[in-house]
Amino acid sequence: MLRNATSRLIAAYLIAAAFSTGLALGFVYWSAGGVIDAEARQVVEAELRGLADDYARGGAAGLARAITRRLETPASRPEGRDAVYLLATPGGARIAGNLARWPADAAPGPGWVTLQLYRVGAEAPTTISGAALRLAGGERLLVGRDVAARAAFDRTLIRALSWALAVTAALALGTGWLLTRLVLSRIAEIDRAARRIMGGALEQRVPLRGAGDEFDRLAETLNAMLDRIAALVGDLRMVTDSLAHDIRSPLGRLGRHLEAALDETAAPDERRARIERALGEAETVLATSSALLEISRVEAGVGADQFAPIDLGALARDMADLYAAAAEERGAAMRCAAAPGVVVQGHPQLLAQAVSNLIDNALIHAKGAGPITLTARREGGRAVFSVADHGPGVPEAERARVLTRFSQLDPSRGDGGAGLGLALVAAVAQMHRAEIALSDNAPGLRVTLRFPVAP
Amino acid sequence: MTRRILIVEDDAETRAYLAKGLGEAGYLVETTGSGREGLYLATGGGFDALLLDRMLPDLDGLSLLKSARAAGVAAPAILLTAMSATDERVRGLRAGADDYLVKPFAFAELEARLEAVLRRPADAAPASETALVCGPLTLDLIAREAVRGDRRVPLQPREFQMLEFLMRRQGRVVTRTMLLEGVWDYRFDPKTNVIDVHISRLRRKIDAEGEAPLIRTVRGAGYMMSAGA
Repeated sequence: MLRNATSRLIAAYLIAAAFSTGLALGFVYWSAGGVIDAEARQVVEAELRGLADDYARGGAAGLARAITRRLETPASRPEGRDAVYLLATPGGARIAGNLARWPADAAPGPGWVTLQLYRVGAEAPTTISGAALRLAGGERLLVGRDVAARAAFDRTLIRALSWALAVTAALALGTGWLLTRLVLSRIAEIDRAARRIMGGALEQRVPLRGAGDEFDRLAETLNAMLDRIAALVGDLRMVTDSLAHDIRSPLGRLGRHLEAALDETAAPDERRARIERALGEAETVLATSSALLEISRVEAGVGADQFAPIDLGALARDMADLYAAAAEERGAAMRCAAAPGVVVQGHPQLLAQAVSNLIDNALIHAKGAGPITLTARREGGRAVFSVADHGPGVPEAERARVLTRFSQLDPSRGDGGAGLGLALVAAVAQMHRAEIALSDNAPGLRVTLRFPVAP
Repeated sequence: MTRRILIVEDDAETRAYLAKGLGEAGYLVETTGSGREGLYLATGGGFDALLLDRMLPDLDGLSLLKSARAAGVAAPAILLTAMSATDERVRGLRAGADDYLVKPFAFAELEARLEAVLRRPADAAPASETALVCGPLTLDLIAREAVRGDRRVPLQPREFQMLEFLMRRQGRVVTRTMLLEGVWDYRFDPKTNVIDVHISRLRRKIDAEGEAPLIRTVRGAGYMMSAGA
């Protein structure tokens, strides 16, 4: 509750609430006060004109009667009690009205004045606002309003303002406290979960309240992020383990070959053969690491700036042509079923490399059992490219696994690959936002890439 | 004429290996491990080709090349890199490189490519040529026909392109990757020996029984076309 963010939040809320309430009531005061003043002025001026008419008709005596009449019936007029009148001789002595004498500092003339005056029979002065007039006979006439009424209105308003401010402040404090408590408790939950995960409980997730609110959505996003991280960590662990195996084993053999080659008692032919085998192992390690590097770069999207329109049909024809001779030598034919105008946005070299990996695999695994077919066509708004062989295929349960790094269907078969070819194809597919699917070619394997078509 | 090569490579061992190999191949070699010094040397002029490492501690190879090209250095340049070729190559070519080699590379590959970029100006005027000749073999570029002696050799379009590529580089080593790049425009390493099979078919077509072979295999490097093999 006393943590900085909380108190700052409440203080900011409080200040904003006080400011807006003050502003609202201040505006009421300013506009209502102005209206009241203007109205009082209009009434006083109208009265002054009315009394001047009375004077014109009945002279000073008639005016004095009119004033006395007005003072006698205060209840009939709402502002009656606040009204002040004074009819004085040219010298300032009272003829009629409820003021004791003509104020020394009020010269009759146009204009609105505020004065300290003594009422008839009153000890203390009252503040009045009013206007004065010199009549034709030299008498002076003053009509005004007691300001006390206005002051009372002000006091009422200020009281209302104070109450409103107090209530607003209390409400602000209350809601602020509730709000921050609510927010902080949810944040604390997320914080606790994050700490547990940092502490090593990697399977922990942020709890959901099931309210479907922003916090649940945040928790869902965080959990999805944690799932992704967990998958990546799992991947990394697997890759590290495989790396250890696929790099260390050939390096170990390389070392042993070189060691044997150093043996001066061995036959020169034998030593030369050892060195050649060591070179072969070095090439294996290099090939594995380049393939890994390539996969990581593709996964990181390096080269996505080199995307260009690629005709998948032309790619199929080119690759079929490139592999035709080599496939024929292995007892397989390259077939090509390319529809025209199947164009996608892609990286020309990486796509060609992916297709080449698929054909290499087909040549290795299908061992001349029927033709290898490359297909490019449109299918339901998508561009589809597939490579199909008639080899042993991949069992359904293994299809997801063979797309990951270092996974070989049957490691004991030892076809020389490190299990990175399909991983690169999968990475290239992901880079092109293409779906990759392995299916049964009955018999054999069909690898299908479904590309989104550029709009 | 002895050709001068500038090698800018920060790894001392690779530098010494390249200098030794190229020195033995008859080039006059100058080396440095610093990109800035490399730029200074390159702009000083007098080199027939530049071999630049892509990653240098002070000034990387790409920037070096861009600056050198901006300063009017026209000598062909080959970038050497530990990064994959598929996308870095495009960046290298944009920066003004003539070729791009991914480490580790076979020395023969470097030599073949260096020869290729050094000869490039000679290849730049093939438009006027209507035929290529290699001993008894004539390649008619207009009719797109090959004739060996008085025998017409039937060729597929790709075979014709391969033969043209080889014949334009007679007496020089052409590696498998150079062929894959030059004829198919692909820059990756297929696991399958696709190029070797294509070459052996081409050979069977142009060399009949008892005829002298025109395409020679250069062990560990690639192929060479020459009439006097």
